[in-house]
Amino acid sequence: MGPLLAVALLVLGTLLIGLRGVAAMRTSSDFLVASRRVSPLLNSAAVSGEYLSAASFLGVAGLVVKDGMGALWYPVGFTAGYIAMLILVAAPMRRSGALTPPDFAEARLASPALRRLCAVVVLVIGALYAVPQFRTAGLVLSAVSAYPYWVGVLVAGAVVSVTLVLGGMRAATYVQAFQFCLKLLLFIVPAVWLVVQAGPEVRHDAVNPVAFTHFTRETPVSFQVDVTLRVAEPVRVETPGGGAALLPGEHRIDAGRTLVFPEGARVPEVRGDEPLNGAEWRRPLLDLEDSGHPLLGTWGVLLATALGTMGLPHILMRFHTSPDGRAARRTAAVTVVLLGVFYLFPGVYGALGRVLVPELYLSHATDTVVVALPAQVDTGWPGSLFTALLTMGAFAAFLATSLGLLLVMSGAIAHDLLPGGLRRLRITVVLVAAGTVLLALPATSVDAGVLVTWGFTVAASTFCPLLVLGIWWPRLTAAGALTGVVTGLLTTSGAIVAALFGPPLSGLTGLLVTQPAPWTVPLAFTAMVAISLRGRPAPWSRAAMLRLHLDEARLRPPPSQNRPR
Amino acid sequence: MDPSPVRPPHRTAARPWAVRPRPDAMAALSAARGVVGDLRDGLAGSGARRAARRMRRLLGARGLALADLAGSLAWAGRPAGDTEVKALIDAVLHAEAASGRPPLVAEPLFANGELAGALVVAGPVRPASVRKAAAWVADALDRCRLETSAEQAAQAELRALRAEISPHFVYNALTVISSLVGSEPDRARELMTDFADYTRYSLARHGDYTTVSEEFHAIETYLILQRAVLGERLRVQVRVAPEVLGVAVPYLVLQPLVENAIRHGVEARAGAGLVQVSGEAEGNDCVICVEDDGAGMDPARAKAILAGRGSPDSVGLANVDRRLRHVYGAWYGLVVETAPGAGTRVVVRVPRFQPGVMP
Repeated sequence: MGPLLAVALLVLGTLLIGLRGVAAMRTSSDFLVASRRVSPLLNSAAVSGEYLSAASFLGVAGLVVKDGMGALWYPVGFTAGYIAMLILVAAPMRRSGALTPPDFAEARLASPALRRLCAVVVLVIGALYAVPQFRTAGLVLSAVSAYPYWVGVLVAGAVVSVTLVLGGMRAATYVQAFQFCLKLLLFIVPAVWLVVQAGPEVRHDAVNPVAFTHFTRETPVSFQVDVTLRVAEPVRVETPGGGAALLPGEHRIDAGRTLVFPEGARVPEVRGDEPLNGAEWRRPLLDLEDSGHPLLGTWGVLLATALGTMGLPHILMRFHTSPDGRAARRTAAVTVVLLGVFYLFPGVYGALGRVLVPELYLSHATDTVVVALPAQVDTGWPGSLFTALLTMGAFAAFLATSLGLLLVMSGAIAHDLLPGGLRRLRITVVLVAAGTVLLALPATSVDAGVLVTWGFTVAASTFCPLLVLGIWWPRLTAAGALTGVVTGLLTTSGAIVAALFGPPLSGLTGLLVTQPAPWTVPLAFTAMVAISLRGRPAPWSRAAMLRLHLDEARLRPPPSQNRPR
Repeated sequence: MDPSPVRPPHRTAARPWAVRPRPDAMAALSAARGVVGDLRDGLAGSGARRAARRMRRLLGARGLALADLAGSLAWAGRPAGDTEVKALIDAVLHAEAASGRPPLVAEPLFANGELAGALVVAGPVRPASVRKAAAWVADALDRCRLETSAEQAAQAELRALRAEISPHFVYNALTVISSLVGSEPDRARELMTDFADYTRYSLARHGDYTTVSEEFHAIETYLILQRAVLGERLRVQVRVAPEVLGVAVPYLVLQPLVENAIRHGVEARAGAGLVQVSGEAEGNDCVICVEDDGAGMDPARAKAILAGRGSPDSVGLANVDRRLRHVYGAWYGLVVETAPGAGTRVVVRVPRFQPGVMP
């Protein structure tokens, strides 16, 4: 009950802040609010608050348990993205005044067709990013309560919709900055407590991992998704309905069942998923799908995440709050530091999880490793308390990111895709939330980190070339941009569809399908440049470029001498 | 000698005499409409070549060119000899009359009665057709000029609609300041500075747009001065979320609304009144509310005021409404929520980004 109470508390708090709206940031003085501009530190806290999703809070540690220490390249890429953003995009994007990539497309290239295409891309990225958030929220809720997964997802959807309709659409900077501090606190304090509480033996094992071959104690494993286990030796498992023997061979375990494996039993294999041995787990590279190309796999993830960050629409929107280009650049710089602090800790959870709850990979539930840990270390009230705190943090992460994503998706529909005047944003938002819930229901078996990385890949192959070339290359034409974005969108979504529904591929092909960034990003850039070179840029493109790169102070009149006291 | 062709010849140009005007009336109509669209930027614009291609197909000529006053040509089809055409255009532009004979004729083009360029047609086309074609191009040019001047007129109207400082307010503010010079010289100096600041902003004539941040700054100075005039009767609350501070808006859209709220919510009654101004983001929009707790009014009257049929002293609201609609489109006008005895709330909703709206 504790974790659910914590979630209820968090939702209530968010709702209250949302309802009170700007009143939450009222100061003692009624005047001069406008001249008090947002500092880069506050804005970067808001950016980080929006950015640190459930995939960061839970997913990275889960991937560490599953794929080994190499999974820590994900947070490296997530953070490095802000360096690319800082150098290439932040300031010119702010100077353009554009709120989202579709706005930028219209401002720079004046093409309504490109604007609509970009809105479609926003929807694709948003869906790939929002579905894993809902999935993780559902998993966590069902892990800490007795309810099944779909109830968790529905509850998450309902909570988000209600929050959005009751004031969540303000996208308030102060709320997001507060959410970041909350997440940071709720992530770091339990981590420190876990390390201290775990004891010297576990700490030693955590840095010297061994292969997970036998259960070291009686272990209950509850399955949230259908899994096929391959058993090598006969093993007698306990189920709520009584004991049963698993004979050698393949066994299909239905979702919702719980099996208790006895101490000393050999760990069954999950079909299509080899458990990592100690050396593999420690390797500092990502060998995805056992393709045998760990270096390429690592580069694929790094390229996608580092270049995709600049194309995340809900993050770009936050930079609009900066008063000018210089402040936007500073915001990006501070964000690197804030995220760097946060991402020191997923590795801690991952290493501890590998020792304490390795069985999670059997049930495809490695994403819940963070919330599963406290109960392993302490069975008393401190364990429950920290489980509650971590659940609260995970839900905060889910809430903050989903609000931003749903808002930006419904904005793309209501603002860019539907014709007509003032559209009903509130209705669109609820419809988009419902659609995301429907997509999240069958998405249990795909890891949050993987789906989110696909979202980054689409962004890196579409918006990254559009923004980088649009900002730095005056010869870009609307036709070139259209071709490049279409190329990137079709290739990446084709690869994702193939990876999700196609036949299992292995080796280099398999890697290039699951991590398409190494070929789709250069392809999109090439298409954009090649088609642009065939056409002529618009006569005003130089002026548009100047607008992006000249300091605002040169364009505006000198500031007044008598600023308010 | 044959000049190097600008683009590969049209495929029908291989059998020049086989080209005939299309008998399809609708096709001719759509081609004619297309020409008007293509010539939107004039003869030197980017659509001139496209227009020439359409005209060539319409006339069934072997080659057709549109020349502007500088003599630069946009050819469609097979270009005629360079020197020949140059001499012909020179003749036409100097004599301001048709020149040449089939298969190479040139007609002058007049827009608003002034020479604007020339139409050159190569091939077996009857001179009467060429004259008609030239007249059509001239009409298209006329229309594009009219459109440009209509746009300029709308811009000028927009500038003219910009709010003016009310003389009533200037007089009151200066009177209050002068009354304070003796008793509270420091406060008087501060108010004087505020007054200078406010007039500087209101009278500034650079660009058409500013930021929400600047607008709020302006209404804050305005409210400080009004508070000096009205004293304790005016209570004020200004709240703005940082997300909308950078949004670009037309100059002085908020000040008339605040002035209106003070006039109807505070000055019109004996007791104290509260004026609240708030700005916040709602998705991709920025929503600014100006609210007073005064007497309110009949919604029908508010409607009349917005339509510009109100009393002469409340022209400010209608003015702001028209400017907003002009800049952001018909949907983005003012929304007035009011009822007798319930105060008045005026809501401004603008997109957080609109192409072309830049501070």
